[in-house]
Amino acid sequence: MLRVTPYIKAISQISIQEPLTDVWMSNPHYYSEKYARSVNPNFKEFMSLAESRRMGKLLKRALVTSLDVINRSGIPHPDAIIMGTGLGCVESTEHFLEALCRDGEHLLKPTHFMQSTHNTIASLIGIHTGTHGYNCTYSHRGISFDCALKDAFTQFRLGNIGSALVGSNDEVSPSYYVLLKKIGLVGQDEEICGEASMAAMLSDCSEGALCRLAGVRILYRPSMKNLRNELEHMLDEAGTTYVGIDAIVTGISGNKANDNFYLQILQDVPESVPVLWYKHIFGENYSASGIGFYVAVKCLQFGIIPQSLFYHTSQVGEGTAPRKILILNISEGKNYSLILLEGTCGK
Amino acid sequence: MGKPICVTGAGTISAIGINKEQTLASLLSKKSGIGPLRYLNTEHKEFPVGEVKLSNEEMASMLGIQPGIPQTRTSLMGMLALKEALAEANVGIEMLHDIGFISGTTVGGMDQSEQHYIDFLENDKYNQYIATHDCGACSEMIADYFGGFAFVSTISTACSSAANAIISAANLIRSGEAEIVVAGGCECLTKFHLNGFNSLMILDTKPCRPFDATRKGLNLGEGAAYIVLESAESARNRGVTPIAMLLGYGNACDAYHQTASSPTGEGAYMAMAEAIADAGMKACEVDYINAHGTGTENNDLSEGNAILRLFGSNVPPVSSTKSFTGHTTSASGAIEAVICILALQNQFLPVNLNWSHPINKNGAIIPVTDSRPLRRLNAVLCNSFGFGGNDSSLLFTKSC
Repeated sequence: MLRVTPYIKAISQISIQEPLTDVWMSNPHYYSEKYARSVNPNFKEFMSLAESRRMGKLLKRALVTSLDVINRSGIPHPDAIIMGTGLGCVESTEHFLEALCRDGEHLLKPTHFMQSTHNTIASLIGIHTGTHGYNCTYSHRGISFDCALKDAFTQFRLGNIGSALVGSNDEVSPSYYVLLKKIGLVGQDEEICGEASMAAMLSDCSEGALCRLAGVRILYRPSMKNLRNELEHMLDEAGTTYVGIDAIVTGISGNKANDNFYLQILQDVPESVPVLWYKHIFGENYSASGIGFYVAVKCLQFGIIPQSLFYHTSQVGEGTAPRKILILNISEGKNYSLILLEGTCGK
Repeated sequence: MGKPICVTGAGTISAIGINKEQTLASLLSKKSGIGPLRYLNTEHKEFPVGEVKLSNEEMASMLGIQPGIPQTRTSLMGMLALKEALAEANVGIEMLHDIGFISGTTVGGMDQSEQHYIDFLENDKYNQYIATHDCGACSEMIADYFGGFAFVSTISTACSSAANAIISAANLIRSGEAEIVVAGGCECLTKFHLNGFNSLMILDTKPCRPFDATRKGLNLGEGAAYIVLESAESARNRGVTPIAMLLGYGNACDAYHQTASSPTGEGAYMAMAEAIADAGMKACEVDYINAHGTGTENNDLSEGNAILRLFGSNVPPVSSTKSFTGHTTSASGAIEAVICILALQNQFLPVNLNWSHPINKNGAIIPVTDSRPLRRLNAVLCNSFGFGGNDSSLLFTKSC
């Protein structure tokens, strides 16, 4: 059986940091507010006014990040488009739901309903680019992106696909922020809630690649033993161990209850391995793990770890020229994902 | 051509039965489950629907769930279908930590959200249902009822969600990343999508008439179905006999419009062709097609054109069982997959109810009205198409 693991050819983000650039690496914006919305680029540069008017903000962000990686990678029609989203275009859902609940069942318009289905994002990209390949959407809370990435990884290994556009998109409206906060999902303790749109182009071709995806695993409510086993297996399959890892990107966010799950597993990690975080500058939301992936790819692409990412200030400056990065994502203490990336610099 | 996957168990619940036995009896006796609204609290009483004939309380009681624990109708139906599938596959609770679960849904917990949304915004009375709203919550509630799985994931591609969950599961088994994955989908009726489909003007006030010239739209339905997918090695080692094989599958994007299908059915054509090629078969070897066949003007014309283009003068028997169940949206791919498996096991053709006039005088789909097959059923194709042109097709064969 073919055991192709894909390369990451291009990656792009629109988030609460400056959109479509790497400026955050040298000059991150720190928020004092507990809730921030994405910084939108000038959408008119990417689509016609008519198109822009038809789409909600999340659709525009998804389209722009996708077009950005399509252009950068020179892959106009990927074999697969696989997207993750926790809540889809939730502003459209809220519009339709609120009209339904407040005004009754007789004056409803189809636009918001059409844009409320979660797959509207991946299918819009298919429609806009005229791409007929595999098209799928995962919607599983904080691991929506990770599920999408795993699907792509599996299909590369099977030889089904040679390229895939993979990403995640979530918006958090002011009213939904309040709802998510009520149930403890965002905005707890020191945590910042943000929004995230991320697109990555994966390919079986190594030329000009930023890094390589060496493994991805998803787990549900694993025991500590189970989690250790899966981690060891993944590292083993990639021919490495904890000691061979140059950094661990975690989803530590300042939400103490969830952070504790990270701290537990980090006890196994040798002290020399830098622990990184990104949610303190990018914020938490269902698509945040896509940003964690983006951050790790950027570190490998440039061979540096920005100071702002070190969780322990005592580790700042360690892990220079990283070659292997493990990404650990734990959502609500239930859904776990493990992703391993390897640098391709100097190859 | 990919490795064949064993189906070792299946479970279903819909308007035509709360298990496979009842579903089979309804299909054979040509008894539709579509009728006047009874359980959904909506003003739109004019639309017939395919409801599961149980209240949430009745379902919870069948499952032994204590009253007062927050549940959604979607997850309750999912639990019932999953229970039947696991039992048939002889999968005990103690095995689940090695088994994956992939479920398709789109409305998720919307049935509760639409009753309490204003409360969510204005007070704290129903906060427990904020946490059950999203698609992932629905899958986790089902998984937790059984005590958990190795991994849980949720696909949401509108009306092809369950079919894509089955494809995603099959890929994991083919790649060796999993030995057993349970996949399918669940979806209850909600005011939200009933009104959504109504705003698109694609609901019929009469029983739906798929592939009929007089068709005026679809009837919504609800339900859930799951199948246990397993590698041949695993099934052999466990000593379980497959009830069918998943031999091939295809997923393609119509890339045409957010809610309409292209006139030529490009996505549908590609998905079916891919499924047949993946199974290492020829189009002429397909013995039956369970069509997406919603009964809308657009779908049936587009899907019919795709079938005619792919099969030419050799169109196999085609029917839409949505004339029995209504359009069960995200669950339809799995419910119809189970119907296909029942057809293979019991050697009958599920009929297409309410059909009398072909769409075109020359060259149109003439759906099945007689359940007796003309030849032995060995390979059947099951189509599921979703908004945005998320088109998928599954090819099942009899177990060898």
